[in-house]
Amino acid sequence: MSSSRRSFLVTTGLASAGALLPRSRAWAAPAFREPAADSAPSPASQTEATLAVSRLLADEALAKRAVEVAEKAGATYADARLVLWARERISVRDDHISGVGGGDEYGIGVRVLADGAWGFAATSELNRRSVEALAKKAVAMAQRNGRLRRSPIELAPTPVVTGTWVAPFETDPFKVPLQDKADMLLGAAEAALRVPGISHVSASLMIVREEKLLITSEGSRTHQVFFRTMPGLTASAVDVRQGRFASRDHEVAPMLAGWEHVVGAKLVDEAPRIAQEALQKLHAATVEPGLKTVILAPSNLWLTIHESIGHSTELDRALGMEANFAGTSFIKPETTGELRIGAERVNFFADRTQAGGLATTAWDDEAVAAQRWPIVKDGILVGWQTTRELAGAIGEKASRGCSYADSYGSIAFQRMPNISLQPGTEGYTTEDLINATDDGVLITGRGSWSIDQQRYNFQFGGQTFWEIKNGRLRRPLRDVAYQANTIEFWSSCDMIGGPGTYRLGGSFSDGKGEPGQVNAVSHGCPPARFKANVLNTGGGK
Amino acid sequence: MTLLSKKEAQAITKAALKAKTVDAIAVSITSEMSGYLRFSQNQAAATGETERLEVSVTATTGDRSATVTGAYVDDAGLRALVGRAEALAKLAPKNPENMPPVAAQTYLAVDEEDAKTAKMGAEERFDLTRKLLRVANKARLDAAGMVSHRHRAVAIGNSAGLFAYHPSTSVSLSMTCRTRDGTGSGWAAAMEHQLAAIDAAAVAERAAEKADLSKDPEPVEPGAYTVILEPQAVAELLLFLGWSLDRRSADEGRSAFAKPGGGTQIGEALFHPSITLRSDPSAPDHPSSPFAGDGQALPKTTWIDKGVLKTLSTSRYWAAKSGVAAVPQPRSFILDGTSKTDEELIQGVDEGILVTRFWYNRMLQPQSILATGLTRDGTFQIKGGKISRSIKNLRYNESPLTMLKSVLALGTPKRVAVDGQTVVVPTMVVGGFTFSSLSDAV
Repeated sequence: MSSSRRSFLVTTGLASAGALLPRSRAWAAPAFREPAADSAPSPASQTEATLAVSRLLADEALAKRAVEVAEKAGATYADARLVLWARERISVRDDHISGVGGGDEYGIGVRVLADGAWGFAATSELNRRSVEALAKKAVAMAQRNGRLRRSPIELAPTPVVTGTWVAPFETDPFKVPLQDKADMLLGAAEAALRVPGISHVSASLMIVREEKLLITSEGSRTHQVFFRTMPGLTASAVDVRQGRFASRDHEVAPMLAGWEHVVGAKLVDEAPRIAQEALQKLHAATVEPGLKTVILAPSNLWLTIHESIGHSTELDRALGMEANFAGTSFIKPETTGELRIGAERVNFFADRTQAGGLATTAWDDEAVAAQRWPIVKDGILVGWQTTRELAGAIGEKASRGCSYADSYGSIAFQRMPNISLQPGTEGYTTEDLINATDDGVLITGRGSWSIDQQRYNFQFGGQTFWEIKNGRLRRPLRDVAYQANTIEFWSSCDMIGGPGTYRLGGSFSDGKGEPGQVNAVSHGCPPARFKANVLNTGGGK
Repeated sequence: MTLLSKKEAQAITKAALKAKTVDAIAVSITSEMSGYLRFSQNQAAATGETERLEVSVTATTGDRSATVTGAYVDDAGLRALVGRAEALAKLAPKNPENMPPVAAQTYLAVDEEDAKTAKMGAEERFDLTRKLLRVANKARLDAAGMVSHRHRAVAIGNSAGLFAYHPSTSVSLSMTCRTRDGTGSGWAAAMEHQLAAIDAAAVAERAAEKADLSKDPEPVEPGAYTVILEPQAVAELLLFLGWSLDRRSADEGRSAFAKPGGGTQIGEALFHPSITLRSDPSAPDHPSSPFAGDGQALPKTTWIDKGVLKTLSTSRYWAAKSGVAAVPQPRSFILDGTSKTDEELIQGVDEGILVTRFWYNRMLQPQSILATGLTRDGTFQIKGGKISRSIKNLRYNESPLTMLKSVLALGTPKRVAVDGQTVVVPTMVVGGFTFSSLSDAV
């Protein structure tokens, strides 16, 4: 392939005024999901209409009863969560539906503090007798555990709140007919399969609705509903003769949004391009490993942020509370305000008010209001993710509102808020970053990822890879992964895109805790440039 | 709530089948009581108990099918669930790969339910945790970990006359000890279907000993080494291979077991002759479910026999299409070993690296099953048949194919802590295992 960008653009059919615009459009969110500075509350009418018909209201008395019984049994604090999940999944393989499924999960979880220790009990059996037994059981467990405490758990104070919130959405995705959903996925798969050389296509749609009603012994009551949607499309090309294949995923991010997000992803329109890129990947040149300049698109960088900055600034990890599974952190809390994590241009904010963010909420699972706060300022560590239990450990007076439980059956603990890299002040475009690079690799999309339990050494793949020579995209590459150490990596960051290049990425399945729980979380970022060890993961083929 | 009995499960299945108005339905019921106690900073962190009863209904009409899951409350709710599944199935587009429900099967006799384990509660969790913490406190180490247990019954029934019920128990404990200077970390765990088979003190001693031994690790050069992989590390790599044991992806040229030019590598000697990989739901000390999620009987299966690939799992659809027998995906993996102890294996290694476990393992290249991940919680250099020093953790870029090809020695198989599957594997000594970079993580 010619080294001139013009001919590359012509041959791949991506020519347009903005050079990389068609690619950057695919880098994450459709324009209407770009972040707003402040929380965007739903119109009151939408909230009322959604919550008025809630099936949780009929069981609210049970939640109140559970809290009452727990207090009477000796709890110094208690909360009861009624949590209802609705899930629907439809998947397509090539020319047919390979699965349609859905379901509800509903029950109550009671968390208590007694004798300075936590106790928790949950059931899907909602009646007065079972809920009372549950509350007593939770208190008895806590009291027993109090004997295995060296110091009592204390909760940072928080204002008593009463409130309702429905995360903004335009169209309830559960009300869209199944046939429409199937038609869209089948249409996308068909469009991709029509590209010669494509052997398999899978398309899927996951929609979830989370509703919870929280009652605390301090008098707080919150009732919230969240819709989250995740469309997906993967095209695979097989070269039977060489025994090699390549897959290309659509880079659309899951979002806190309704059906409008799925429509905005334009799966059918995008399918031929995804298919072309799978072929391009199959026949791409294999990468030459070495220490290189890498430009990471938002669709790739969000996950690197999640793993290297998101997990390392979870305070419970840094304190050793997750040592047995998720791990600890390379960051020590006493270095707050001093530890340099990255170059001066590197700034991270945690934000549970960010529009479209999967971890966006109005209140957390301890009735603490959602907020936005700095984690890394001018390259220096300045903040942590906390809950009411954790805040005191770093001398803070109030929780940052990061408590979450993934179902009625799980205990709430510290989970990750949306944490995002702030855009650079120079206003760079993606093209500016490429033009300024003599020799490097552009990486987009999410591939494989792996990082150690203290978040030092990571290795990430991607979806598409381009060789950059003398400020130009030269040719597609394959078998690329980049490996680096967290501080070295963020310290090497020498260019960050401007506000116009900022996109959200995210995941439904951020894992942590024992027993394991999942959390949905987003990370926003512009493209940025780094130094990393580029590896060849071709495995000799 | 108490665990669903076989009788109750039959009654729910019967009620669901009675509500059927389409061609076929299948019901899957899960009843579970579980509990755990987490500890960290040498004290109790959280403890909980959850009980749940869930029913999943798959309705099929012609080539259309859908599955709906919900909590079981009463028969009226169940009828509503069947109604929803049927309504969704009628709406669902045709799936030419849809298969009729599995007919009645004969299952291996399996006893995975232990009365003592089923009765575990707050008191037993407390006692086990205290045993673990006592060791850590005495050794002046920071400890974190978890004790957990569950009692579960899974029942499957369908309109083709199948009914299956399998009760099981499980108990596990795991513990990480860290030295107070933050330079050493050791981990150990146990998972069994019966409480009596768990030795909490031994788990704690092992985690503590590894923590002490792993203090002040020194760097080594990344590269190819002879490794001694403890069972947990072996299992973590082996699971990647387990997922690849699939006929369809091999037939379609997408897997490590595809033959270049078409077909599969069944019958080929792909591995070291000492490698025999089996599944056995009725394994005496390590029982597992005798049926798959759709009710198919899980037979004793030999995947690899003395290094030769014998079979690949095959879905019912793919089996019918390709004219071969269906082979359900297993719930257990047993890698045969020897009676050698770990000490004997170490004595046989002149120069190598001992790995306790791997972490954050991810597949990089499905065709070579190339994976990456890092060592964790006890990585040591072996010199002259002895542990010579603690070394920094390493990232590997390696394939389980290498592990099963370059075998130098095998130890005694042990059950490892893997959720959802019964995995019994030996410690393995493997040559030429590739580490690609160092990590400062402890």
